Amino acid sequence: MLDAFIGFLESTGVAALINSMVEAASSGKNFLEIMGTPLMIIIACVLLYLAIVKKFEPLLLLPIAFGILLSNLPMFENSGSILMHNEFFTDPQYMIDGKYLDVRKIFAEGGLLDILYLGVKAGIYPPLIFLGIGIMTDFGPLIANPKSILLGAAAQFGVFLTFLGALALGAAIPSIGFDVKDAASIGIIGGADGPTAIYVTKTLSPELLPAIAIAAYSYMALIPVIQPPIMKLVTTKKERMVVMEQLRPVSRTERILFPIIVTIVVALIVPDAVSLVGMLMLGNLIKESGVVDRLAKTAENGLMNTITIFLGLTVGATAKAETFLTPATLGIILLGLIAFCFSTFGGLVFGKIMYKCTGGKVNPLIGSAGVSAVPMAARVSQVVGQKENPSNFLLMHAMGPNVAGVIGSAVAAGVFLAMFA
Amino acid sequence: MSIGEALAEGLRVTVIGMTIVFAVLILLMLVLMAFKLVFYKKEPETGSAQKKTPPDTASTAVKPELDEKELIAVLTAAVAASMNTSTYNLNIKSYKRIGNTSPSWSRAGLNDVINSRF
Repeated sequence: MLDAFIGFLESTGVAALINSMVEAASSGKNFLEIMGTPLMIIIACVLLYLAIVKKFEPLLLLPIAFGILLSNLPMFENSGSILMHNEFFTDPQYMIDGKYLDVRKIFAEGGLLDILYLGVKAGIYPPLIFLGIGIMTDFGPLIANPKSILLGAAAQFGVFLTFLGALALGAAIPSIGFDVKDAASIGIIGGADGPTAIYVTKTLSPELLPAIAIAAYSYMALIPVIQPPIMKLVTTKKERMVVMEQLRPVSRTERILFPIIVTIVVALIVPDAVSLVGMLMLGNLIKESGVVDRLAKTAENGLMNTITIFLGLTVGATAKAETFLTPATLGIILLGLIAFCFSTFGGLVFGKIMYKCTGGKVNPLIGSAGVSAVPMAARVSQVVGQKENPSNFLLMHAMGPNVAGVIGSAVAAGVFLAMFA
Repeated sequence: MSIGEALAEGLRVTVIGMTIVFAVLILLMLVLMAFKLVFYKKEPETGSAQKKTPPDTASTAVKPELDEKELIAVLTAAVAASMNTSTYNLNIKSYKRIGNTSPSWSRAGLNDVINSRF
């Protein structure tokens, strides 16, 4: 009876926690490694606070934070209750021939989150999220004002500049150890597009996935704080007051043809971007065609919400103390901010160029909406513009560059995948 | 790699990457411009993207005559709805377009809606 009770006590999380901490301390590891588990639980709770109280992209941050919590609960090694085994996905020792995922092992020994994570690893979830986003996206403002698509391209400047920065940082501080693949994954944070960032990172540098996803979603939530100072710095009051011409109406034929043509054009030039852009455009076609209302409702609500839960939970679960509590994470958080700032900057500068070229018909504020983050970035353009000229409505004009930014960052992702995958 | 090499590699990728991104999006822009030539015939379309604010003076070229009847029908209905009466009791004799100076209360209302989702 007593033995059974002691046996139970030895299997508890408390015992596992004490055991692992004592073991780490006696083998002379540093503070971060000893306190890893409790620190990760605290980080998870802070992120939960940000998601619930501060409403930072709660739809994703809440499952991500809870995923971190679930995968960092104290457990004994080889315990059957471990939900997530990162090593199955990153350590060649556990793979077939050192490079292919051992799916049999994952199904036999893996926990719930391991099996759900297969959807990230196989690149299934981000394109399915894009399907839902496609249904919610209105490309009308873009079709009506084709030039605004260039702002979506210009705002990818931050992606590549941050790539450069991450490479330089990796070269300057070898202990961080950023190589080209890591740099590409970090750069894509500047696309301000969560699914795209996850899609690139899971392919190029899966060990950085949690840090990059958390940085991307947190900064997306902070766009109303990050962008306005840059917008005021780069533009003049006169430019911010520009009232733009009303957009022309767009016919149904154009709306239906647009997604089909985009898919073909993107496939012809950057085939690696097709899984993202193709699904985005399929979603849009489902909506604009108007003949498959049932599919639209499912993909936009049920399917997308399901995938959001799976994606958030498993991306969070990849954040283990040993890979997350490193200087690399700090580097990513810093570079992510730089990426957002320079993407905003790139869009605004191009907006100013368009202002000059059109003789003052384009309000450069819509340039900052070229970072994807639909529709947050467009709302920021609207609000900043309205502060200067209360009767000015830039929202619809900013939606053009905004949705172009989604296409632009998916293309940038395709470029990285083509070069480094 | 050294910092110099890293910067050189970064620059190379930046130039190639930005070129490809611009190339794809410029191509799409050309397609969209072709759309305008092919499909947009300045006919009145009940486009959903159209804002409800009256067009400002710069863009009054938007077919004033063609959708006159429709506009009057809309105006009649709006007045009838706000006065709680039937359209049969109303007769719109004239209307006048004003510039982009919608009443401040409606602007405030629109701002409220936008800001509430911010």
